[in-house]
Amino acid sequence: MATIANPVDRSASVSRSGILAEKGSKALTQVVLLLGVALFLMPLYVMVAMALKDQSEVATTSIWAWPRQPTLTNFKEVLSNPNVSFALFLKNTTIIAVTSTIGVVMTSAMAAFAFARIEFAGRDRLFVVLLATMMLPGIVTMIPTYVMYAQIGWVNTFKPLIVPAFFGGGAFNIFLLRQFYMGIPRELDEAAFLDGAGHWTVFWRVLMPLAKPALVTVGVLSFMGAWRDFMGPLLYLNEASNQTLEVGLRTYTALQAEKWHLLMAGSVLVMIPIIIVFFIGQRSFVKGIVMTGGK
Amino acid sequence: MNQIRPWCIALLAALCGTTFAQVKLRFVVWDGDVNAQVLRNEVKRFEAAHPGIKVNFETVTANYQEKLIAQVAAKVAPDVAMMDPGNFQRLARRGALHELNEFFSLTPDFDLSKYYKNLVDAHSLEGRLYVLPRDIAPCANIYYNKRLFLEAGVPFPDGTWTWDFQERPELREKDFLWVMHKLTKKSGSDRPTQWGFAPAWRELFRDMVYLQMGARAVDNYESPTRILYDDPRIIKATQFASDLALVNRWIPSDTEITNVLQSNARQLFTQQKVAMFQSGIWDVPELRKELRLGTPGHFEWDIALAPVYAEGSRAYPTGGSGYCILRQTLHPREAWLLTQWMAGPNGMKAMASAGLAQPAIRELALAEPWIPGPNTPAEQQIPKNRIITDHAAPYVVFSPTSIYWPEVGSIGSQTHELVYRGSAKANEVLPPANRRAQERLDALRKEEQLPLIDWRIGGVLGFVLIGALITWIYAPEIGKKKRTNRQRRDNRAGYFFILPWLIGTLLFTAGPMALSLLMSFADWDIIRPAKWRGLGNYVEAATFDPTFWKSLSVTLIYTVTAVPLGVVASLGLAMLLNTKVKGMALWRTCYYLPSIASAVASALIWKKVFQPDGGILNGVIYGSFGQWIGLDRLLLPFADATGRVNWLGSEQTSLFSLILMSVWGAGAGMVILLAGLQNVPQYLYEAATLDGAGPLKRFRNVTLPMISPTLFFSLITGFIGSFQVFSSALLMTDGGPNMSTTFFMLHLYRQAFLSLRMGYASALAWVLFFVILGFTIMQLKMSRWVYYEGAK
Repeated sequence: MATIANPVDRSASVSRSGILAEKGSKALTQVVLLLGVALFLMPLYVMVAMALKDQSEVATTSIWAWPRQPTLTNFKEVLSNPNVSFALFLKNTTIIAVTSTIGVVMTSAMAAFAFARIEFAGRDRLFVVLLATMMLPGIVTMIPTYVMYAQIGWVNTFKPLIVPAFFGGGAFNIFLLRQFYMGIPRELDEAAFLDGAGHWTVFWRVLMPLAKPALVTVGVLSFMGAWRDFMGPLLYLNEASNQTLEVGLRTYTALQAEKWHLLMAGSVLVMIPIIIVFFIGQRSFVKGIVMTGGK
Repeated sequence: MNQIRPWCIALLAALCGTTFAQVKLRFVVWDGDVNAQVLRNEVKRFEAAHPGIKVNFETVTANYQEKLIAQVAAKVAPDVAMMDPGNFQRLARRGALHELNEFFSLTPDFDLSKYYKNLVDAHSLEGRLYVLPRDIAPCANIYYNKRLFLEAGVPFPDGTWTWDFQERPELREKDFLWVMHKLTKKSGSDRPTQWGFAPAWRELFRDMVYLQMGARAVDNYESPTRILYDDPRIIKATQFASDLALVNRWIPSDTEITNVLQSNARQLFTQQKVAMFQSGIWDVPELRKELRLGTPGHFEWDIALAPVYAEGSRAYPTGGSGYCILRQTLHPREAWLLTQWMAGPNGMKAMASAGLAQPAIRELALAEPWIPGPNTPAEQQIPKNRIITDHAAPYVVFSPTSIYWPEVGSIGSQTHELVYRGSAKANEVLPPANRRAQERLDALRKEEQLPLIDWRIGGVLGFVLIGALITWIYAPEIGKKKRTNRQRRDNRAGYFFILPWLIGTLLFTAGPMALSLLMSFADWDIIRPAKWRGLGNYVEAATFDPTFWKSLSVTLIYTVTAVPLGVVASLGLAMLLNTKVKGMALWRTCYYLPSIASAVASALIWKKVFQPDGGILNGVIYGSFGQWIGLDRLLLPFADATGRVNWLGSEQTSLFSLILMSVWGAGAGMVILLAGLQNVPQYLYEAATLDGAGPLKRFRNVTLPMISPTLFFSLITGFIGSFQVFSSALLMTDGGPNMSTTFFMLHLYRQAFLSLRMGYASALAWVLFFVILGFTIMQLKMSRWVYYEGAK
C-alpha cells in the first residue's frame, strides 16, 4: 500500500469512479438476486400452491400448476381438526422452542466466552472434547439416552427437550460463538480489566453487546431447530395433548393415504413463525458494528 | 394348589375391578388421522363396556418401530401395540411379546378359527400366536377406469382373466396382456401417453408373477435358510415385468412414473394416465375423495380380481396388521380384553364401516358394512365389487417374516431395480445377487456362543477410559510454573463459565457415549442383555460386511465435494446479501427459505427437478440454450439409452445430484457467514479503498481474514455434519441405484433399527467418530490461515 506514488490523485479518482462502480454493483446485485430467487422460492411456491388446492385437484394436476380456484378450506380443516389440535400443538411447540432457545443462548455464550477469552487449565484439550461430542452419530446414543430419561421419569414431559439446552446449549453453538469472540479485539477487555472489571462484567457488558449478530444467529438457528425438531418430540412425548406441530402434522402422511393438501397447509402454517423470527432477527445484520479502539 | 390359584386370581381381579383404582392401559397404533379417529371412538366404547379399565390411546405415525423398541429397552413399553407380520418377529423372538394362546380361554366367545387362516399363520411363530390380526389386505385388486375401458371398447373385467408370458389375442378380454395392450395409447413417436396397467409398487407385479408360478423367495418364510432368487421362475418373472415396462411399454417404467407424477401409481390412475392399477384395498377412501362426483377429475371406476397365470395357481402378495401385548405389561388380562375388542368384531366393524380395513374375521368380511348393501351410504357403495377381497384372501402370501429379511431381501430388491431400469438382464444379475444375499444370511444366522457382558469389567473399563481422558486433557498442565494470582483467578472464572456445559456433558452426553463405546464390543439387540463380542464387530466391518467400504467411500466423496461447495455458495450468498440494496430483509428471507421448508416438499420438488423427461434440469440442458452451448454433448457419457441423463436414476449421477441438492440449503450457512461479515469493521474497507485496493484485493486482504474464524467454523461443522448425512438419501433414493447413494449413516441406521444390531451399529458409529476426529484434527492443525483479531 505504500507503493502508491501519488495517494491524493489516486483517491480522488477512486471516489468518482467508486460511486459509479458502487451503483453498478448494486444494480448487478439486484439482478443476480432476482435470477437466483426463483430457484430458492420453489419450495414455498409448491407448498402454497398445494395448500390452496382441494384434494382432487392435488391428485389430478401437476405440482407446478397454480390452483384453478384457490381455496382456504385446507387451512380451515387443519386449524379445526379435533384430532390434531393445531392450537394445542402450537402452544406446546412454542413453550419448547422459546425456553430451549433461551437456555441455548445463555449457556452457550458463557462457555464460548471461557473458551475464547480465559486461560484455564486444560482449555485447549477440553475444546477438542467439546468438538468430539458432535462426532458420534446420535442413532447409537439414542437408546441409552432414552433409557436414562425414562429412569428419571422425564419421558412424556417436555424436560428432555428443554433441560439439556440450559447445560451448554450444544457444541455447535459454543463453537460458533467462540469463533466470534475470537474475532473481537482484546484491547476492549484489557481496558475493562484496567478499570477494575471482573470476567463477568467483561462478558456481560463488553462482549455480549459486540457479539449481537452472532447471538442472534445462534438464537434463530436453535429456535428453528427446536421448532422443526422431529425425533425428539416423537420419542419423548407420548400423549396427544403433549404433541408438537412437526410431529402432530405427520399424521397426514400416515400410511398410503398421504393427504398432501392438508400436509402442505400445515407445513405453511408451521413455517410462518420461523419466517417471522428470522425476519426480525436479520435486522441485527443490517449495520456493521462500529468498532472502537481498533488497531 | 392348582385349584386354589385360579380362585385367588379371580377374587383378586374382582377386588381390583370393584374397590381399587382403575387399571390404566397404554395403547399405541401407527394409524393417523381418519383411522385414528375411528380407533379412538372404539376405545371409548371399550372403556364404557369395561368401567374398571382406562385406556390411553397414542398414535405414532412415523418411526413407530424405533420408538417402540426404545420404550421396550427403557421398560416403559405400552401394554398393547399395533404390529404386523414383517415386524413382530423382531420383538417376539426376543421375548418382548406375550404369546396370545394362553389368553384365549379368558373370553369364551373368542374363536380363532373364524379368522382367515393364512393371516393367523403370518402372525404366528413356531405355532404360537403373537399378534391378534385386525385386518387383511390382499394386493389383488385391479382398480380400473371404466371410462377408458369403454373408450377402448374393452368389456369391464370380471376377474376370470388369465395371463401368460405373451399376449393371447384369441382370448380377448380374458387375457390380461391383451387388455393391457388395448388400453395403452402411444403417440406418433411410439411414446406411451397412456399405459394399460401399473402396479402400486415396483415389486408387486413381479412378486405376483413368480408366486403364481409356484416359486417362493426363501425356503421358509418364518426362519429361512436358503434364498431362492436364483430360481429360474423368479428370474423369468423379473425379466418379464421389466420387459412389459421397457419393451412392450404397457406398464410405465420407473422413470416414467416419476416423470408423470409425484410418487405412486394411484396418482397415475387418478390422472387417467393408466387405465388399471393393482393395489390393496387401502387406496379406496382416498380414491373416493379424489374422484368424487362433480369434480373435474371425476370418472367411474371399480375393482376386479387380479388375474391368474394360465398354467399356475392363484397367489397374491398381501399386507395385514393386528395388535400385540407387550411382555412388560402389568395387566395382561385387561390388555387381552382390549386387544380382543379392537381386533375382534367390535373394532373390525368400526374399521369396516369407515371403509378402511377388511376384517380379519371372515364372516365379517362377507357382510355389511364391509360389503356394500342396502344400508350402505351412497358414497360408500363404490367400489361395488368389494367381495373380491374375500375371494383373494385364501390365496395371499405374506412377505418373509424373518428378522433377517429386511437386510437380506434388500440385496435382491436392489438388483431387481437394475433390471427394471434396463441396465442389466435378470439372468445375469440375480444369481450373483442371490449368492451375496445367501452369504449375508449365513453370516447373520451364525449364532455365536458369546458370554454375557460382565458389568464389573464394563465399569472398570469405563473408569480407565475416563481416567485416560482426564490425564490427556491435563497432561500439558503438568510441569508448568507455579500459578500466579491472576492465573488462579482465571482458572476459577474459566470453570465457572463452562460449568453448565461441563455438567451437561457429564450428565447427558458422557454416559450414553461411553455406553455406545462399550456396546461397540458387544452383540446387543437392544432388547436382550448384551453379550461380549470383543473386536468381532470391527473385524466384521473391515472384512466381510459388503456395504462397509462402499458406504464409507460414498460418504467421503459426498463430504469432500459437498462441504467446500456449500461453504463457497454460502459465502457468495452472504456477500450478496450483505450489500445495502433495497429490500434486503426480504431477499435474505427468500434465500433462507429452502433451509426451513418442509423436507417432504423439498424432496418432491427435487424429484421433479431431476426427472429425466420434463424435469427442469433436463429442460435446460436439452433445450435450445443448452444445446447451443453444448451441454447435451458434454453430458453424453452420462446419458442412458434414451440419450438423456437420468439424474437420480443412474449410478453415475445420483450422488452428484444429492450434492447439488445440498448446496440449495446454503441458506443456513449463509446466516452464519452473514453474522461473520458484521464483524468486519467498515473502516478497514475505507482504509483499503483509500490505499487503492480494488474489490478483489479488498476481499482477499480484508474480508477473507476477518471472517476466517467463521469460515473455519463452517468448514469444521460442515465436515462433521456431512459425514453424518443420510436423510436426503432416505427421502430421495433410498440408497440406490445399486448402492451409489448408500451413505455410511444409512447403512448404520439400517443395522441399528431394521436388523436390531445395535452393537454392530455402535462399532460403525465409532469408526465414523474416529474418521471425523481425524479429519477435524487435520483441519485444526492446518488452521494457520485463520486470523483471530482477539488472539493473544
